[in-house]
Amino acid sequence: MSSPGDSPPAVLARELSKNYGERVAVDGIDFEVPVGICFGFLGPNGAGKTTTMKMIYGLARLGRGDLRVLGMDARRERRQIKARIGVVAQETNLDGDLTVRENLVQQGSYYGISSQTAGPRVDELLAFSLLADRGDDRVHALSGGMKRRLMVARSMVNQPELIVLDEPTTGLDPQARLAVWRSLERLKRQGVTLLLTTHYMEEAARLCDRLLIMDEGRIVTEGRPADLVREHVGREALELELAEDCEPAGLLTTIGDHADGHELHDGSLTLFADDAEELLRSLDHDRFPTESALVRRATLEDVFLRLTGRSLRE
Amino acid sequence: MSYEPGYAGLGERLAPRDLIPSPRHAAAIWARNARVFSKLWKGALLPTFLDPFFYLLALGFGLGTYIAHGINGIPYKEFVAPGLIASAAMWSAAFETTYNVYFRMNELRLYDNVLSTPIEPQDLVAGDIAWSATRATIYGIVVLIVVAAVGLVSSPWAILIPPFVLLGGLCFSVIGYTFTSLIPKIDLYSYFFTLGVTPMFLFSGIFFPFNQLPGWVEVVAWFTPLYHLVEITRGLATGPEPLQILIHTAWLAVVTTLLFAIPVRALRARLVP
Repeated sequence: MSSPGDSPPAVLARELSKNYGERVAVDGIDFEVPVGICFGFLGPNGAGKTTTMKMIYGLARLGRGDLRVLGMDARRERRQIKARIGVVAQETNLDGDLTVRENLVQQGSYYGISSQTAGPRVDELLAFSLLADRGDDRVHALSGGMKRRLMVARSMVNQPELIVLDEPTTGLDPQARLAVWRSLERLKRQGVTLLLTTHYMEEAARLCDRLLIMDEGRIVTEGRPADLVREHVGREALELELAEDCEPAGLLTTIGDHADGHELHDGSLTLFADDAEELLRSLDHDRFPTESALVRRATLEDVFLRLTGRSLRE
Repeated sequence: MSYEPGYAGLGERLAPRDLIPSPRHAAAIWARNARVFSKLWKGALLPTFLDPFFYLLALGFGLGTYIAHGINGIPYKEFVAPGLIASAAMWSAAFETTYNVYFRMNELRLYDNVLSTPIEPQDLVAGDIAWSATRATIYGIVVLIVVAAVGLVSSPWAILIPPFVLLGGLCFSVIGYTFTSLIPKIDLYSYFFTLGVTPMFLFSGIFFPFNQLPGWVEVVAWFTPLYHLVEITRGLATGPEPLQILIHTAWLAVVTTLLFAIPVRALRARLVP
């Protein structure tokens, strides 16, 4: 894999802004997406992730600022950009009047790929998405997970250098979600740059090589998932449901700097440390009774909570 | 304010590049619609041919029996028949560019997908309108064949009707598309039909001429596209006056060209905000 300075970034944004009327959706953000990695935008609904993606793939007009995709100006070179990228939109927008196979062939024709040329590619994509036996089915006969896999396959028809995936697994059951993750991982191995937005921290942690966290139109932090967790919260987390008569302030004082940090919300205290198990053992349960205790690894969700005071999910 | 390259809202200036469609890309849209139609055409074609056929029977043959001297020297059923070719095209285009476009845009959400490929709004509008006109022409030809088969065409010039119906179809399609792109609320479409299309159909000169009516009626009709297409089809079917045909053709061509920018702007403003 090439190191960051080798080629121009897949996407470059400088002071990118967009308003919808009075509402500020994207508030002057800067970011660079290197070629060949999976880059994530993690944030709650309304953070501005989808708006940013739409400016990249041409379904939203830029407000202020600069945006270059694959080296091209997103304001003036839309056709050229769109010819070299693929998009998996948040809402399923497959062509319900056509069969599964026809959807892929038709998509090819939008890129100027003739039906004959598209044939073998379409077969390949159907196999890749495990839909080879559903080629002649109408789209409405597919399950939600299959439709989403077809959306991913469709985004690959023109052999794009960059694929934008806007919340690709929202609304899918765990099994379908796993199938989509697997196909995205196969895609990563092919060297395609992936731009992914999500509000699921497991998805971000699993798929993304780098990510940025977005909230209320701004970038809150950026980096590799594991680094972000270590940097902002700690390695492990100890979640304590405090009993009614337990005084958190006293508990925190006792712990002192054995914990890297803490979050306290509604009687639920989360302590961060390198070894949460040990921290749990060191607690005085008589003085500070707890209803339950959970030892787990710290996650991006904790990072988001630490940085914004809110949860990733409503 | 100098124009900003790229997208523009409804009221802002749009670069020529953003208004002029790319034929190759518009053709891909045309082809998609044609592909879908080719799966459904058998079911779709029959009612379309039946509709004007019944008008012809009821009014042409039924009412026509009571119009002893015909109209302007033409037997009534021969007066009515060519107009029904034009109206078949009109109904097809009106329906296609309202309900069908709405369906593709809002229910299937196809346009979001299409616009994320190298296709731009002007290609989409051009491709949809070209398809709608094609479909309208197919229906017009079907009615022409029926009308000719029943012996209601007296001039060999009638063979030239299809290309003019295509032009008329383009004009009807641009108008319908303008409406849909500005007002994508499906419950309002019935107003488009009851307040626009149906009155136009009844007062376009298909069923009765304007000779004996107050002058202003024909003036109003002059501003509607169906009037002009009916004059062309009836002219060609009964013996054309070339200058008149030219004038009506020019009206259709000019109006189509002038209106095209409106749905392009409206679609841009709506789909690429």
